[in-house]
Amino acid sequence: MSTATKLTTVEVNDKTGIATLTLNRPPINALNVELLHDLYQSIKEIENNKSRGLILTSSNDKVFSAGLDINEMYRPDKDRARLLWTKLQDVWLALYGCALPTAAAINGHAPAGGCLLATSCEYRVILPQCRIGLNEIQLGLVPPIFCMFNFLNVLPRRLAERALVQGRIFTTEQALQIGLVDDVASSKEEALEKCSQFIGTFAQTNPLARSLTKLKFRGADLQRFENERSKELESFLAFVDHPQMQEDLGIYLEGLKKRNRN
Amino acid sequence: MMRPKILSLVPRAAGAYRTMSTTTKLTTVEVNDKTGIATLTMNRPPVNGLNLDLLRDLRQSIAEIEGNKSRGLILTSSNPTIFSAGLDIMEMYKPDKERVRAFWTALQDAWLALYGSSVPTAAAINGHSPAGGCLLATSCEYRVMLPKFTIGLNETKLGIVAPMWFMSSFLSVLPRREAERALNQGRMFTTDEALQIGLVDEAASSKEEALEKCAQFIGTFAKVNPIARALTKQQFRSAELEQLESERAQDLEKFLFFINQPAVQKGLGIYLESLKKKAKN
Repeated sequence: MSTATKLTTVEVNDKTGIATLTLNRPPINALNVELLHDLYQSIKEIENNKSRGLILTSSNDKVFSAGLDINEMYRPDKDRARLLWTKLQDVWLALYGCALPTAAAINGHAPAGGCLLATSCEYRVILPQCRIGLNEIQLGLVPPIFCMFNFLNVLPRRLAERALVQGRIFTTEQALQIGLVDDVASSKEEALEKCSQFIGTFAQTNPLARSLTKLKFRGADLQRFENERSKELESFLAFVDHPQMQEDLGIYLEGLKKRNRN
Repeated sequence: MMRPKILSLVPRAAGAYRTMSTTTKLTTVEVNDKTGIATLTMNRPPVNGLNLDLLRDLRQSIAEIEGNKSRGLILTSSNPTIFSAGLDIMEMYKPDKERVRAFWTALQDAWLALYGSSVPTAAAINGHSPAGGCLLATSCEYRVMLPKFTIGLNETKLGIVAPMWFMSSFLSVLPRREAERALNQGRMFTTDEALQIGLVDEAASSKEEALEKCAQFIGTFAKVNPIARALTKQQFRSAELEQLESERAQDLEKFLFFINQPAVQKGLGIYLESLKKKAKN
């Protein structure tokens, strides 16, 4: 089966029953309203079509996802900014709380929102010479609370706190050593294969018992977030409304444009 | 997300720092002109036993460092072999009722101030660091320790129950399995063991090198917006801080009840006797 919404594709392997969800928004899978919308739809579609698992990857061979699209935050239309953040919240809730086994084949750089998606999954395989991390703070942003939940779910507390307050980006080797990723693969095919093997470890497990057990681990985070999501949205909107932040984002975007020209 | 209200209230780190050295009775604060990092030195001979006065000075110094816009705080000791020996047993042995209340309240205040400090914090552990000494070190974000010393929360070995917030500091540093076991055992770690388990982050061969490594850690935040940093740290630590804030009256009563048990007083008496004997030899 293969369905294409605009910016994501879902392919279910006939033999294994595992669905591969591919991010496909050139040039760098920046998370804008449309990509987040399609991502959410695809996660729900995979949950409903009784797939045995979900592998998240990218069609780009250098970038898994560059994170939130800065253009969505720079001088945004108010309703659009509200929509962007709501979609991001929905995606996190859907992926972090997904009933199926989830794995990320990180076939390129995964800063900020890219790392958020990867750490929402249960297993991570990365390619060599990639960079991954939650570097929000380097851009003057306070990482949202679900960034903390994800990191605490993957890293020891001491390292999670330090990495988030430093906005640290890890190389493939560093990420493997610290446990931010579980395995390294030399090609995208091998990464997908290793993700499939991880999902295969649940073959003998009752899916309902499995998903309820996963939810026991993640339920408190999901619940706390549901309670705080409207407050969290308002603080994001207040943030993008702040003149200093708009100035910083403008400078950052200018820098990106210059780099692209060179 | 960034809270603009707070952002507008607190100015960004200013460019110029003045060298400053203030002395309260038992702590010193020195701000490095070049780096803007404040070194807070505990200075209560002979062993930096945490009594009411040292705890009050410590808390005041932390507040002073936060108020003077330092870029970070390094906690260390003026003693070459002891970082801090922990709570001063004399404050707990046959205590005056009012004083022991003030003592425990000052300890709560010092922990809330250090664990929740908005500036980057690091401990240059230049000597032994049992019990309350370890509490102070693990309330910081980074630890560098000199060789051949020991560190740990050994309260259970002294017949004392470490309160909830000692556990919070420990859990912010060690994996849960290791934290629970070490606290129950009252285990003291050598420098090598502490390094291996992650209780300290680095070892240094001299106090100077330890201070330098702490400064390097604080330097990793040079390009990070201080407000965003403080709010992110708070996200990690607010639950534990709020817990003590909401339970501090009960926490005090629990301590007073415990310390007034005849068996506890007897145990402390025996311990003090043995210390005196050791000092004589």
